[in-house]
Amino acid sequence: MSELLSPPMLRFLPRFLEGMTVNFEIAMIALCLGLILGVLLAAGRLAGGILGGATAGATGLMRAAPTFVVMFFVLNALPHGDLSGMMIVALSLVPYSAAYISDSGVDAMRQYRLGSPLASFLFFPNVARAFFVLVMSSGAGAAIGVREGITALLTHAEHLPSLGDKLGCFAIGVACFAIPLQAGFAVIGLIQRRLGRMAVGYSFGTAAPGD
Amino acid sequence: MPTRRCPLAVLLRTAIVAAGLLAATAMQGRADESPDAALAGLLTQAHDAAKCGQPGIDRLVRVLCSGHLRVGVRDYYPLFGIESHGEHKGYEVDVARAIAAKLGVEPEFLKVNAGSRIPLVDSGEIDVAIATMGHNTQRDGQVRFIRPHYYQSETVLVGARDLKVGGWNDVRGRTVCATVGNGSNIELVAHGARLMLFAEAVMLPDRLKDLSCTLAAQDDSFFAYYFTEPDFAAQFAPKFGFSQVPWGMGVARHGSAQLARALDLISQIFHRDGVFLEAARANHIGTAFLQRQHAVWQRPACNDAAGSTNPSCILPPFDATTQSTPIAGEVLGFERWVQSLTGIDLQMPMLKTVPAWSMFVTGVANTLVLIVGAIAATLVFALTLGAAAGSRFRLLRWPVRAVTITLQSTPIVLTLVIVSAVMDAVMPYSSAVALTAAILALGLANGCNAGQAIAEAMVTLRAEREGLPSHALDLFVRALSRSSTQIVAFLINAAKGSPIASFIGAPEILSAMTDISSFSSGRATTYTFLLVFYTAIVIVVIALCRRMERLLERSYAHA
Repeated sequence: MSELLSPPMLRFLPRFLEGMTVNFEIAMIALCLGLILGVLLAAGRLAGGILGGATAGATGLMRAAPTFVVMFFVLNALPHGDLSGMMIVALSLVPYSAAYISDSGVDAMRQYRLGSPLASFLFFPNVARAFFVLVMSSGAGAAIGVREGITALLTHAEHLPSLGDKLGCFAIGVACFAIPLQAGFAVIGLIQRRLGRMAVGYSFGTAAPGD
Repeated sequence: MPTRRCPLAVLLRTAIVAAGLLAATAMQGRADESPDAALAGLLTQAHDAAKCGQPGIDRLVRVLCSGHLRVGVRDYYPLFGIESHGEHKGYEVDVARAIAAKLGVEPEFLKVNAGSRIPLVDSGEIDVAIATMGHNTQRDGQVRFIRPHYYQSETVLVGARDLKVGGWNDVRGRTVCATVGNGSNIELVAHGARLMLFAEAVMLPDRLKDLSCTLAAQDDSFFAYYFTEPDFAAQFAPKFGFSQVPWGMGVARHGSAQLARALDLISQIFHRDGVFLEAARANHIGTAFLQRQHAVWQRPACNDAAGSTNPSCILPPFDATTQSTPIAGEVLGFERWVQSLTGIDLQMPMLKTVPAWSMFVTGVANTLVLIVGAIAATLVFALTLGAAAGSRFRLLRWPVRAVTITLQSTPIVLTLVIVSAVMDAVMPYSSAVALTAAILALGLANGCNAGQAIAEAMVTLRAEREGLPSHALDLFVRALSRSSTQIVAFLINAAKGSPIASFIGAPEILSAMTDISSFSSGRATTYTFLLVFYTAIVIVVIALCRRMERLLERSYAHA
């Protein structure tokens, strides 16, 4: 395990953390694009009729499309001009994020129409959850040479001599991903519990947002 | 544009060249057999000012009449053909100048690239292409290659100096950066390398420097320039070479018989006399091949007028032909029919050649195994981890929860790599091992989430049934029913995530199609097909899982 504290390891850490910021950037771009498309799809589904059917079908296809294959499709089959690898990964995550936002949006509107505005607010923690899923999925960019966290991790690990050193390196990577992820999930949990308490209070007529 | 010269001057110059050649052959005492004598005779015969205006003359006659040899050269291929401020430099440029001097004419350089060099030769816009053109069996039907070849390149694997890669065994399972359409990709794939494809070779050195690529495969002639840079040479080294391809000058297949013959003879002479070798040294390119050829063409058996057709002296072209499938003709007809009907350039390389078809069929079969395996593994891990995490025993519950949190916090790509690394350490790498590692990783990543849902359902059921007698197995079955939506969601996720197995070299359909597209055309069709194929499979899995979910819910209602 001596290699773990060697100068190359100390050089690797900043590179890895820099790569992780790319993961967050990819997730943010995919989420923003997914929000726009997902809200439009949700509106179409709620409108019903032919439009509702068509948008529900499109959402179903987006839900079923594997992100990793979509990434290779965007890279090889679509004219992408000067789009960077980072943008290609972000675009490949848009079908997933749009379908997720669309599903959550439709669910939220149904809750609202059923007279549960607080339950419809669960849309926001759901969006936050989608963001963390996108961060984790953005590691697929390593397959097309995007310089994100996983790429930095794997490149460093290739130069380590033993399996022990490699696993040590991977453990550092897992910890670095786990800290923001678990912190994010803890915040989401807090928000949900707070909304739950407010919902109980609201149902007894004590308090409600906007009152 | 160069000016046309007086035919008398050209005649005089050619006569001097021919006389020089004859004198050289006479000195060797082999006037009737040497390539020098044959060349002198050919030039004397070809140069007849009276023929200059006639239609249908050989291109050699036209070259001698005009006094100019139009040579297609590369304008940005460092060390071989570079154009800067109107001045051409490089090994191929020096070769062209030497040939023109031998013919007694002036060289006229025209810029060509990999796509235009053969059409320009064919249309007569250039007399000869000396432009990094590999001689392979496919090109033999498009252009007349000059023998002997003036250079030979090979694909070389380049990586960091401290990286231990000595042969094919060290490449298996590694990611190698390569360019799309490179003929040597098929050999990398056959030896178990995972390819990361780039559109242009110029991207490879940068990707090596920024550590995106651990190994890069490309022509040694391409990397030759980069190894002249001290920084690059200090960081990287060629590991080993393969797929040797001889480079040939190309002239038109029709109307250039005499020009081709003259160039054959000149190439023989240049090898024998070390002209090619000197030009290579002057341009700092590899000389191993030229040194070997220098020795070959000094041998009496090769140093005669028939040497360029002697199989023991010349090199065969690189065999680039692939065996066609029995339905290749029908597939081609279908592609043309679709194009004529819709204008869409449909390409289905996986159906046209035997190696591609074999990869495709294996890829489809492995994908089905992978998806079924990933779903089964997810179910097994979900039940095992769910039962353990929902247990009343802390010693069992806590470690499982720790494992679940760790797996949930690990990007699936990383889980895949970790499982693969562990498996590689205990057994030798093979496609089956990669496939098993992918099944385990997908099962673990999704099974831990589904297991957590089962455990949470058990906790709620215990709270609801507090004080009531309940059997552990009954509680577990009820928990399965309650968490059926979550279980099904993660089973679907496992199927959906299966293409990522290609990242560790599992030979599923994405890997297979990437490999096929790396040595054939039709990338757009290939990846569109892939997207449709995988989406259809996931839709089928969703339908089956929904049916299973309804069954679980029904069993809950009965319970």
